[in-house]
Amino acid sequence: MAATLTGRNTKLRDDLIRLLGAERVMDSALERHLYAKDAGVYRGNPTVVVMIETTEEAAQVVRTARRHGVPVVARGAGTGLSAGAVPEVGGVVLVTTRMNRIEEIDAENHTAWVGPGVINLDLSRATTPFGMHFAPDPSSQSACTVGGNIACNSGGPHCLSEGSTVNHILALEVVTDTGDVMIVGSGAPDPVGLDLRGIIVGSEGTLGIVTRALVKLTPNPPDVRTMAVAFATIEDAAATVSGIIAAGLIPAALEMMDQLMMQAIENWLHAGLPVEAGALLLAEVTGVTEAVEAEAEMIAGIAQSNKALSVQVAASPAERELLWKSRKSAFGAVAQAAPDYYLHDTVVPRTRLVEAMRQVYEIGQRYQITMMNVFHAGDGNLHPLMAFDASEPGRLDEVKAAADELVELCVEKGGVLSGEHGIGMEKRHLMPLLFTEMDLDAQARVKDAFDAEGVFNPGKVLPEGSRCFDFGRPVPEGAWV
Amino acid sequence: MKTPFGAIPAADISADQAIPPAEIALAPTTLEQASQALRIATERRMKVLVWGGGNHQGYGHRVHPDMVLITTSLDRIEVWEPEDLTIVAEAGARISQVEEMLAGKRQTTVLPHHSPTATIGGALAAGLSSYKRFRYGPTRDRVLETKVVTGDGRIVRSGGRVVKNVTGYDIPRLMVGALGRMGLIGSVCLKLLPTPAAAVTVSVEDPADALAALYRPLAVLSTPSGHSAFLWGTQAEVESQAARLGGEMLNGHAWPTVPSRLVGWSLRLPPSRLSEGLERLPEGWDYVAQQGVGIAECAADQVEIGAARELRGWAESVGGALVLTDGPETLYERIDPWGRAPAGLEYQRKLVAGFDPFGVLNGGRLPGGV
Ligand SMILES: Cc1cc2nc3c(=O)[nH]c(=O)nc-3n(C[C@H](O)[C@H](O)[C@H](O)COP(=O)(O)OP(=O)(O)OC[C@H]3O[C@@H](n4cnc5c(N)ncnc54)[C@H](O)[C@@H]3O)c2cc1C
Repeated sequence: MAATLTGRNTKLRDDLIRLLGAERVMDSALERHLYAKDAGVYRGNPTVVVMIETTEEAAQVVRTARRHGVPVVARGAGTGLSAGAVPEVGGVVLVTTRMNRIEEIDAENHTAWVGPGVINLDLSRATTPFGMHFAPDPSSQSACTVGGNIACNSGGPHCLSEGSTVNHILALEVVTDTGDVMIVGSGAPDPVGLDLRGIIVGSEGTLGIVTRALVKLTPNPPDVRTMAVAFATIEDAAATVSGIIAAGLIPAALEMMDQLMMQAIENWLHAGLPVEAGALLLAEVTGVTEAVEAEAEMIAGIAQSNKALSVQVAASPAERELLWKSRKSAFGAVAQAAPDYYLHDTVVPRTRLVEAMRQVYEIGQRYQITMMNVFHAGDGNLHPLMAFDASEPGRLDEVKAAADELVELCVEKGGVLSGEHGIGMEKRHLMPLLFTEMDLDAQARVKDAFDAEGVFNPGKVLPEGSRCFDFGRPVPEGAWV
Repeated sequence: MKTPFGAIPAADISADQAIPPAEIALAPTTLEQASQALRIATERRMKVLVWGGGNHQGYGHRVHPDMVLITTSLDRIEVWEPEDLTIVAEAGARISQVEEMLAGKRQTTVLPHHSPTATIGGALAAGLSSYKRFRYGPTRDRVLETKVVTGDGRIVRSGGRVVKNVTGYDIPRLMVGALGRMGLIGSVCLKLLPTPAAAVTVSVEDPADALAALYRPLAVLSTPSGHSAFLWGTQAEVESQAARLGGEMLNGHAWPTVPSRLVGWSLRLPPSRLSEGLERLPEGWDYVAQQGVGIAECAADQVEIGAARELRGWAESVGGALVLTDGPETLYERIDPWGRAPAGLEYQRKLVAGFDPFGVLNGGRLPGGV
């Protein structure tokens, strides 16, 4: 199914209309244009876009697409940044946003069955009356879907202590390559057999379509301290992060932003950020009062020994909310200020933060690109944001080249390509930086085990040529090599 | 004696282990040696059993091996980055020894180490988590990178040595609980946790009340002789939490001993069903039950197939399982150790086939004979 499909496919469309009705099948030029990209910088070419409402419909769409020899690309809210939902070679874009039911909240077991189209923040809002929330909190949480979170294994500020999405998914209902439906995982611990649930989370829509999920809910903490610590330099802030982790403290969140980013946010939100400082560290500790008090004190001490300019503790829930709002609306603020931006996502071991950040700015200088930073410092998860003007000829290519250099520098430091946005189309060409041919071939075997014919999201995650037929060819019995 | 490729013949290192009889028993000292052994096994279609500390060999369908690969000579600590809270260790390293080393800097893998001989690879392969999982989640959530040797001898690395990573398929997670079917786990990178300053154990009357009164305790465990809450944190924190419970308080963690008798069962239930599950245990079974998690590790003096079937039937009807974890060989012929096979068996088979095309490695051990 690798050939690129171009233009419309009326037979396919008509079959889908018979299945879903005309209102939920779209293939006008405008509609196909709208669903050609996600929130990143890559563009694809949908053959047809469908809005599904039930598991059975998803299964039927998969079967129909297969019959027509056309791939299926699942899509949630389209806030992905690595082009995961971009139909690169055409195909059916299967949109899940109407599968947005929170079916059942089980307060006793701290779980809920939800549709993939449920918006991340809506889930936490719905569970608030039970004193619980869905821990993964990407900055895009007011728009992105749980299905997208699952497919990307998304993170967020509070994943430092709670782990990424995969730690919060107990079971999945999945439409498979044959158009069948299976439930993997369980509400009981340690389901027997291979952990199919775990491998499907984070697989970027390449192994199946998630049509329901049993999520784990996290109790809301009894107390919280949120601190904003200003530093003269990003190095001092980074050293504080390393100091906190090395001291054996894992705060609920540990986020950092640099001066340019603070200024952009401040211009937009007027949140009272210390824009004269070189860097701001946002640290949050949660738990019982005695614990948060002691931990907040420790953090303040470590910050002070790293030359903190000021330590401000949010005095009210409103102040806390404003701090988080400024953190989470950073990218919106930039979107206001720059015509285009490329938001990057790489990881270094947290001990290498200081040097990594220095090199990030060096790359920016070399390419004459403004690098703004707001990131999950506690995990070593960098998010350099490159603001640029794509209408300048050749500029996007330069930005992409700088992006590759950012990844290379992180891998050199023992890091990886992506901490939470995924590989998609964006970084697959960089996979050989981290993995040998044999490693990539093993990953291709995972893909092939679920989807040998390439029905789901073809071409994503793995670079072309990942299947290496020199490995593991059947050896005749009794032969010696 | 030296073998053709330098691995140590097992007899030289572990005469005391209860390793099942096999044509060959080897203890590779490098992944390359393990790779060579598995290539030979694949060429000759030999059945291979991977053996760590031998503590969890009761899990799954029995394997009658032609070759045993002992991992205990793969026991190097490759890198420990205390400041990053990560460690890379070979899979044959004993958890107890690793924990001893980590304790020097007040860090922990949070892996279970009731047995001094338990290895990291064994715990991972069996998918075991410690009693601290109510607070810290299962072992699976802390495996960052694995290097495995596939059934046909390929050395495959996946994941990465950082705490947050979505680069490629999460193969490391798949290795946990795979009982070696996806490959011999050679080395792993684990996310570590800092060990808090204070630890106490408080006896409680009602585990449900204890769970309700506490904010994310380390564990609340039940045994036939009573219930205890285990707390961990700063001194002030554990004292205030303990005060909420009011029961008798002991400094340190008085973990119950894991019940061990002729037959071992693991009862796994949605947490809210655990109390009912305990009521349904056959007369005389010993157990340690993890409240809020939904697991009861049980031990029985007798082979009670009828009673076990009844309990299993009920457990499965509420979405759980009753897994045989230990017992006499003949028991495994009379009752399926896993019970009802999970969904997606064909995908499990295909995954395994990609990593072990000829089914040499711990073949058939998983549910459904995968
Ligand atoms: C301003 C901004 C801030 C962001 N902040 C964060 C952040 O803090 N942390 C973070 O991790 N990410 C962040 N992101 C990235 C993005 O929001 C997340 O990756 C999110 O989980 C994507 O969800 P979505 O519903 O938009 O998915 P989409 O973009 O629609 O799809 C993403 C991927 O998921 C697949 N997919 C979607 N639904 C399904 C399904 N039901 N079954 C199978 N596959 C499916 C798609 O095929 C695609 O590969 C941010 C993005 C933006 C624009």
